[in-house]
Amino acid sequence: MEKVAEEKAASRWRPGDTPVPWLLPLALVLVLVFVYPILEILRLSFTDASLVRPEYAYTLESYITLLRSPDFLSTLRITFIFVFASVVFQVLLGFIIALVVDQGVRRGLRGTIVTRTAVLSAWAIPGVIIGIIWSILYEESAAGILNHLANLVGFGSIPFLSEPNTALASVTVANIWRGTAFSMILIYAGLQTLPEDVLEAAKIDGANAWQRLTRVMIPLLAPVLFITLIIVTIETFNTFDMVMALTGGGPGRGTEVIALSIYYQIFQQLNLGRGAAAAVMLLAVNMIITFVYLRYIERRQGIE
Amino acid sequence: MMAKRSRVRRRRWSDAALYLAFAFITLFFVFPVFWVFSMSLKSVPELFATPPIWFSTDPQWENYAFVLRNTPITGYLLNSAIIVFFTVLLTLAVAVCAAYGFSRFRFHFKKPSLMAILVFQMISPVVIAIPLYRFFVGLGLLNNYASLITVYVAAFLPFTVWFLKGYFDTIPYELDEAAIVDGCTRMQLLWRVLLPVSLPGIVSAGILVGVLSWSQFVIPFILLDDRDLYPVSVGLVNLRDSADAVTLHYLSAASIIAIAPVIAVFVLMQRYIVSALTAGAVKG
Repeated sequence: MEKVAEEKAASRWRPGDTPVPWLLPLALVLVLVFVYPILEILRLSFTDASLVRPEYAYTLESYITLLRSPDFLSTLRITFIFVFASVVFQVLLGFIIALVVDQGVRRGLRGTIVTRTAVLSAWAIPGVIIGIIWSILYEESAAGILNHLANLVGFGSIPFLSEPNTALASVTVANIWRGTAFSMILIYAGLQTLPEDVLEAAKIDGANAWQRLTRVMIPLLAPVLFITLIIVTIETFNTFDMVMALTGGGPGRGTEVIALSIYYQIFQQLNLGRGAAAAVMLLAVNMIITFVYLRYIERRQGIE
Repeated sequence: MMAKRSRVRRRRWSDAALYLAFAFITLFFVFPVFWVFSMSLKSVPELFATPPIWFSTDPQWENYAFVLRNTPITGYLLNSAIIVFFTVLLTLAVAVCAAYGFSRFRFHFKKPSLMAILVFQMISPVVIAIPLYRFFVGLGLLNNYASLITVYVAAFLPFTVWFLKGYFDTIPYELDEAAIVDGCTRMQLLWRVLLPVSLPGIVSAGILVGVLSWSQFVIPFILLDDRDLYPVSVGLVNLRDSADAVTLHYLSAASIIAIAPVIAVFVLMQRYIVSALTAGAVKG
């Protein structure tokens, strides 16, 4: 008996049989590229460091200045509007398109795959190029296509990118175009997991299409919708590339979302301390939402 | 009879509604790309015509030749190809090992470690790129592909590890046991038994990492300042901002050139990408 146990213990400690060597490269890369920078940005956020000057002192000044600065408060407001509108429409449109594509597949309609591909391709295009593409669409001269269409429909000329509020709406529309595919594919995957018999039973019980959607499908899809909402929200808070290429944060600072603001504080104003403080706030938003997400999936199923 | 006929009619109506929806959706998503493609083939007068011309009567394919010849875009494309190639290779190498570790071993802190990895996935690249910039400046690692690619790899590892761990979990452990009985080491077991079976999953993850690293902007934007090293994402913004000479039709042609590779991969490999995206997110 004892010998068997010993053997087991020995085999457990054989050099080839610990997970450490398998996980070591991952741990090294993640510590170097994530853990160290996070600690560093936390430290920098409590300093008055500049990007070009080596000496600095520890202070809370960065946070205080930021939270008193009308520009930064405006950045926060812009970010929240941008995130809220983007998330609502991306998830809503994603849901509708997922339903339409799912129905198309079930009925064997031609054109379903073409539609799905069209939506997904938008997601594969690099964010900066999406920014450039939409800046061409939003061209405000008479030669601009959206401007021309707006005139045809009777809206008159629209200052797509030259008036701050309109520009924020324009940036949000471009971002919805970009992100809808991601919501769509998650929700579409969720639709594939719905139990066929439950839907069939509802149909036999005489529920019409709307009732089946709101009383059967949406409750069953709630977990998927929630996960989609969380991931899309975090992604949108982190948006940088598309806005950078489309407006650069302008006109004025009318579309300066928080990730852009961090970049400008550090690389244009060279104010490392203040930029770091803004970065820590973005990090805090990321962490809070992620925490909600983790609690949720942990409660739902856990990880084996 | 009547009921049946009305059901058929209703079915036909709803099919028509679906087709209409398809048309709207496709138009909304294809139009911006179509428009830029159309712009890329226009002559200068057509570019500024009012009202705008839908499609050039005499497509100027030379615009593409001009862009390829007179802008650094071929260099950018090559840089992107190098970065993407090594990022995919190294991400997969590190992630396969880690996913194996997480899938086939029991150990303390496994769950918290997996959760922690997921947390990294959610962090904005801007946040980590700033300290890395200072760190790299200090060590003289700015404008260095090795350090740049390490950051890329780190950015894609969390997703890839989770995805591949999920994939390995679906492969029955009996396969491992049979190999162990045959006297395989763990490395041989992974290489000869698990990898061949998981090839579709690994291909999916690889394509997704490839598409995402082609798109990546923040990391090279902050960690590179030598223009000759720019990948196509940063290069295109630079192209637009630096030269007034690059007018709309050239910029459009450059954009089409930059997205052609991803769109091609995407359309051809759609099956793999869809499965990777859905498995990665819905399960966990």
